[in-house]
Amino acid sequence: MLHDAPAVFVALEQSGFASGIRQSLWLYPAANVGHIVSLVCFAGAIAVMDLRMAGALAKTTPGYVLKIGRLASVLAFAGLAATGFILFAAEASHVAVNPVFQFKMALVLLGLLNVAYFELRIAPEVKAMAPLEPLPRAARVAGILSIVIWLVAAACGRSIAYF
Amino acid sequence: MSKRIVLFALFAALAGPAVAHHGWGSYDAAHPVTVTGPIQTSKFENPHATVLIKGTDKVWTVTLAPTFRMTNRGMTADMIATGKTVTAFGYPSTVEKDEMRAERITLDGKIYEMR
Repeated sequence: MLHDAPAVFVALEQSGFASGIRQSLWLYPAANVGHIVSLVCFAGAIAVMDLRMAGALAKTTPGYVLKIGRLASVLAFAGLAATGFILFAAEASHVAVNPVFQFKMALVLLGLLNVAYFELRIAPEVKAMAPLEPLPRAARVAGILSIVIWLVAAACGRSIAYF
Repeated sequence: MSKRIVLFALFAALAGPAVAHHGWGSYDAAHPVTVTGPIQTSKFENPHATVLIKGTDKVWTVTLAPTFRMTNRGMTADMIATGKTVTAFGYPSTVEKDEMRAERITLDGKIYEMR
């Protein structure tokens, strides 16, 4: 399998950093646990924002929900990225060519593009709106798209081990 | 966008288990194998420890458990070092040739569960 992967992933897997992860008793399991806990926090924060954008929790102020949700989700995403990189590095040459992992990374990219579009085009308009004021259709679409993308990405993450 | 997601999903489904490696799903539990022999190489590493065992007919790559679990059950890297004789009972991989996942191993008359 080692020769199937691009050289950069083979080099990462053979690095001292990755070797240290594999040889540590607790680092890999800790990253595994940390990845799931980060995911729970991320999904919670995202869900509140996305549901608000989709029209639920209409009595809350959109700007306030976004402010808190954004902070929590950015912190949780940092945790996901850090722990995910540890898990990836340990087996980089195998995981990089895993079709489910590739699909998951495409979804993460899509999710981040959705975030960028939302933050640049939709959030500035929405954050000044009052409770119960109907949100623009674009906000609803971005919210629903977001929750679907991240949930499928999470499902893919768990599925990597079976493909 | 959603069309693209469906296309991606189709692609992922069709691409299939090209690199199956973990979990118990890609091992054939209906045809268990018992291998006894000396350990040729030993990796006491995460996510799973791995040993090469020289059986009577061929050399098996035997996937064991995460090192934290192995340690927890009384196994150390020294106990499965190169040259030690071990018996592994497990299931052959349906994907990788001559690879098996051990359900349990026997070392010096003592049984260690890997699951």
